[in-house]
Amino acid sequence: MSGGAHVLVGLLALGALLVVVRLVRLQVLKAKYSILWLTVGAALAVAAAAPGVLDWAAERLGIGYQPTLFLLLAIGFLLLLAMHFSYELSRMERRIRTLAEELALLRQDGERKG
Amino acid sequence: MVQRALRYRETVRTAVIIPAFNEAQALPAVLSSLSNQVPDHDVVVIDDGSTDATARVARDGGATCLSLPFNLGIGGALRLGFRHVVDQGYDRAYQFDADGQHEPSQIPVLLAALDDADMVVGSRFGSHTGYRVGWSRNLAMGLLRRLVGHLSGQKFTDTSSGFRAFRRPVLQLFASEYPVEYMDSVEALILATGRGFRVVEVPVSMGDRRAGRPSNRNLRLVYHFVRVLIVLLAGSHRRPTQTS
Repeated sequence: MSGGAHVLVGLLALGALLVVVRLVRLQVLKAKYSILWLTVGAALAVAAAAPGVLDWAAERLGIGYQPTLFLLLAIGFLLLLAMHFSYELSRMERRIRTLAEELALLRQDGERKG
Repeated sequence: MVQRALRYRETVRTAVIIPAFNEAQALPAVLSSLSNQVPDHDVVVIDDGSTDATARVARDGGATCLSLPFNLGIGGALRLGFRHVVDQGYDRAYQFDADGQHEPSQIPVLLAALDDADMVVGSRFGSHTGYRVGWSRNLAMGLLRRLVGHLSGQKFTDTSSGFRAFRRPVLQLFASEYPVEYMDSVEALILATGRGFRVVEVPVSMGDRRAGRPSNRNLRLVYHFVRVLIVLLAGSHRRPTQTS
């Protein structure tokens, strides 16, 4: 990567960190997800500031073309995240269904009593 | 003989579960035919997030009505119905369509078979019926029939029939574990047989669907078909069984 690209990635990572912190402060984002994104932001910032780290890791793993390692990590991370969200969604759907049932039963109860 | 059977049934509390989504048009006729045919059965209409007058029509027709805040689909509506009849202490219950597809005259046939079974499925492909479906649906149902036959070790001719009766133990299972997505009827069959319940099929005659959506778009049908295949093959219904 050229020097300009490093600066750009660094700025983006910094921007992302600020956005995450702001969202947590506004209580829009739950803290458990903020940890995730803060970690990602930090990792990106490190990769931008010290590109040697990525090169070194790729070499140790026997990967000749360094961007491959970066893409591998990124895709792996996103896949895991997507799986986690599917799991959370399934659980939420189950809970919402149960709540809807509960509501229908309570409504009918209320109607019967008065 | 008939008289004796009926008297025995008076001591047994029976509920009719009718899932209804925007069925205000067809529901009054169904409710009045039920109160003529089976006056001692309690009718429970599950208003599945209807936007029309379904709930009001149901109450006017003398039924208990449970209104869901949004549409859960037929499986979700049925599960609520099962939960309600279990809570209310019914001994047995049967499903009935809101669109007039099922015939009240066939209810005694269904309930008679429940005397020595835990669950009864009314099949429209029995002897004296003339029910016809499209080819793609026919193919899908044929495949499902084979798979269900293989998994349950039993022969069922109509795996998607929604005309079914249950005894309390099955109702208790379904109150918490009834499959809530489309094609629920196929999954439910496997769930009940997998838990060691005795499930039988009896031939009944059925009318045509009066109103609404006859069958799904093909693509959606394929999606749900594949989904059910996965569910059945993954065997998520097979958790520790009571018998065997």
